[in-house]
Amino acid sequence: MSWLARLLNRRALELDLDRELRFHVDAATDDYVRAGLSRDEARRRALIDLGGYERVKEDARDARGTRWVEDWWADTRYALRAMARSPGFSAAAALTLALGLGANTALWSISDALMRRALPIDRPDELHAIRMVGIESEDDESYRTSHPFMQRLQAAVGDSVRIAATSGFSRLYATIGDRPEAVIAQLVSGSFFPLLGVRAQRGRLIGPDDDRTLGGGPVAVITDAFWERQFGRDPSVVGRTFRVNGVPLTVVGVAEPEFTSITVGQQVDLYAPLVMQHELRYMANASSTGADMKKPWVPQNGIAWLTLVTRVAPAAVPQLAARLDGVFRAELAERLADADPAVRARGLRAHLALEPMPRGFSPLRAAFADPLRALTAGVALVLLVACANLAGLLLARSEARAHEIALRASLGARPGRLVRQVVTESLTLAMVGGALGLVLAQWAIRALLKLASSGPRAIPLDAALDGRTLLFAVGVTLAAGLLFGLAPAARVARADLYASFKAGGRVASGAGSHRVPLGRALVASQIALSLTLVAAAGVFVRTFRNLLAVDAGYARETVVAARLDIRAAGYTYEQLPALYARLLDAARAIPGVQSASLSLHGLAAGGRRTSGFVVPARTDSPGERPAQENFVTPDYFRTVGMTLVSGRAFTERDTKDAPKVAVITQAAARRLFGTDSAVGGRFGYDTPADVEVVGVLRDVRPNSLREPPPPMVLRPLAQAPQEYVTSVEVRAAGSPEPVIKALSNALASTAREIPVRDVTTLEDLLQRGLSRERLVARLAGGFGALALLLAAIGLYGVISYSVTRRRREMGVRLALGASPGQVVRLVLRESLATIAAGLALGIALWFPLLGLARRLLYGVSPHDPGTLAGGAAALLAAGVLAALLPALRAARVDPIEAIRAE
Amino acid sequence: MPACAADLLQGTLDMLVMRAVADEPLHGYALVQRLKLTSGGRLTVPHGSLYPALHRLENRGMLKAEWRSTATGREAKFYWLTAKGRRHLEREVVAWHELSVAVALVLGTFAPPETR
Repeated sequence: MSWLARLLNRRALELDLDRELRFHVDAATDDYVRAGLSRDEARRRALIDLGGYERVKEDARDARGTRWVEDWWADTRYALRAMARSPGFSAAAALTLALGLGANTALWSISDALMRRALPIDRPDELHAIRMVGIESEDDESYRTSHPFMQRLQAAVGDSVRIAATSGFSRLYATIGDRPEAVIAQLVSGSFFPLLGVRAQRGRLIGPDDDRTLGGGPVAVITDAFWERQFGRDPSVVGRTFRVNGVPLTVVGVAEPEFTSITVGQQVDLYAPLVMQHELRYMANASSTGADMKKPWVPQNGIAWLTLVTRVAPAAVPQLAARLDGVFRAELAERLADADPAVRARGLRAHLALEPMPRGFSPLRAAFADPLRALTAGVALVLLVACANLAGLLLARSEARAHEIALRASLGARPGRLVRQVVTESLTLAMVGGALGLVLAQWAIRALLKLASSGPRAIPLDAALDGRTLLFAVGVTLAAGLLFGLAPAARVARADLYASFKAGGRVASGAGSHRVPLGRALVASQIALSLTLVAAAGVFVRTFRNLLAVDAGYARETVVAARLDIRAAGYTYEQLPALYARLLDAARAIPGVQSASLSLHGLAAGGRRTSGFVVPARTDSPGERPAQENFVTPDYFRTVGMTLVSGRAFTERDTKDAPKVAVITQAAARRLFGTDSAVGGRFGYDTPADVEVVGVLRDVRPNSLREPPPPMVLRPLAQAPQEYVTSVEVRAAGSPEPVIKALSNALASTAREIPVRDVTTLEDLLQRGLSRERLVARLAGGFGALALLLAAIGLYGVISYSVTRRRREMGVRLALGASPGQVVRLVLRESLATIAAGLALGIALWFPLLGLARRLLYGVSPHDPGTLAGGAAALLAAGVLAALLPALRAARVDPIEAIRAE
Repeated sequence: MPACAADLLQGTLDMLVMRAVADEPLHGYALVQRLKLTSGGRLTVPHGSLYPALHRLENRGMLKAEWRSTATGREAKFYWLTAKGRRHLEREVVAWHELSVAVALVLGTFAPPETR
């Protein structure tokens, strides 16, 4: 019979063995009877000859070779029964473990999906991005280039290497039902999908034929997520046509479910060919040099809006990079031939490089790398605390089971066998906790992705539990089980039989006081770990509060803003001035509104424009000076509450025909003119410096609270009448809530066809920008609280057990005249020693680790003494409270009963 | 002094058991008697060691077992040697002989007084 068959047929084999041995004894008995003995005597001799019936059976069982599995199974069932006998403790232990294990699994899964997982395409290590390196620029700009340049590169490398291009992401409006729905779209070249090797699960994907003629590719590919969300996986979607930003597009296919985008964590609903850019009025994520952005972008050299990717084996990268760079540098030298020598020298430092991106692009990754590391460390610490907690509690319980262990040992169990049993119990507990933890992890992943998102929807990261995550979860569970199983196992291995029996089956008294330090050591280490977690919670919460308190330079709570997409609604340039007037009138008519304004880019709304300005008066350092630019109506400064430090704001007189004016911030004044007093200074977009500075503003933070105030140039909207504003702001006299609703209604009734979103206060928008810091603060706070609770429980358990063991000693003290207060103080003094040891250990060992989190903090040092003191005080208070209850119990011991109970 | 078979190494016991059932199938009790008989009374295998050895050999495929009726009409579990077991036995016997030659050579002419 094979080993497996023997394992499964245990019962049959046992009966077989029994039968065999009985025959043997009977045969031997018969022989002895024939030799002349009585039946009983014969039987006795036969059994002696056999050498112990049960012993033979045991040896035969060992010979089966399935022993260890059977033992393990028996131990597990015993452990489960034991757990069922003390449901309260088991539930608490399992829950503690579930929290620790689940949190670790969730974070690992998210880290894996964001940081480590490769793109779901063929041979991801071959994917490279073409990037400009060597000179400073904004991250996005170093990837962007124009369509004609891409074609020149493609021509230079021939057909062996394909280059594909993608635009940035933009919100377009699709009329699928009766209302326009916002969709996130990306434009791609015809070579994009073939290059990546992505497959369609329905229909086909965009190909080279769709990308040949301007406006001649009215097709779209939708992603799986969008198909599910919008169409409920209706197979008839392929072939359907609907209008996107007014252009009829036909859905030709749905991408395979694993693929969303080459930018990880970015939601994409729809892909369209590059040649549709002008028709779709896609006008975002681009920088222009002397080009007309109102004409189609594809043929224009001066518009950089495409990111280029290519597929090349890692070994062939240097060769390809050299060829691409050759083309680039030739053009660069030609372009800079007439430029200023200083500018030329700086420009010639640039060259093209191939950047491997097997894991795709991810701004999300860059933003969350540090917080993820901090959080992973945090949950690991929480798990350690939980394990220490459990180890202490299990240790206390194993003391109570000393009698049972001694009995087993005396019945013939070897120490190895006993240790195996105890370890199995710990592992079983760990497995139960781990299983619960997996369930928790699912929920935790969803919750985390939602919390970390700065928008209404969760971050679209595929962090579901897969094989790798399960492997991790099992590994961590086993490790945790072994970790907290060590303490009771060590106890069992050193079991002192005689002492246990002498104690008569009750908990051993007095003499075993040397055993207590292990329990107290565990609590001290728990307190040490908890101190770090509590201090970390303190500094992260303070970071968030510090950020919230940063002065943005404008009113936050009383200003309500709304984002508009006028371009998507199909308005022409001529219709804009009348529309703007209508919008402002409608906004001002809202009851409770003090003033209203329009701006090209709203505050904290995520959009911005950067332009280069030339200041002829500055001969010391010629060249363009970049600054953020915005176009606003005259009431803007009053509406949003920006303060002028000198000069004036815009008025109705700053019209298109009037001299060009600007109001700049202090940072812009310093950058453009080198001084704060810049009123009267002149600058321009190019050589004719025809813009005059009429006012200087106090510095503002228009993008996020975390960034330092950028140089900002504001111009009157009237002097740039062809700009499509994207934001309307109103100042509320009282509470903003009714204004929010009123503004939505006003916009809907004035211009129904304009998509409107994010109607909310500036305060809300700024807070959304801090979602990362808020997430970390909340989670760290949770960990700190959890650690505090666990440390208190651990201390309570150990002290409580110690008091129970020392009942007799307490009784003697009380009988000899000690007051209850003295007994309480005695217990508390010993507890304080443990707490103090833990705090000292924590400060010395774990606290310095907080220095690693320096980059995540704002306005507070990682080793801030105030926070440390606060954390220590909190732990001290919790510890004293936890020790107080058993201490009071000790004082209430009845001396006579305690001494008598022997 | 008759050798106490408790001194037998496990491998040696296995070899003896296999030899005993090489000629005809035997059940456990009969095996004990056979070993005692053929060794001239010198070898008394403790009955308890026998069954673990039998089961081990059966698990390894050296022996095969079957419940049959004995002469007295009762049912007993009979063991016999498989082809694999026979090959193994032959190898073990050869090795044993070589070992005993080597041991004899080493011991040489050393003769303890009790030996006859």
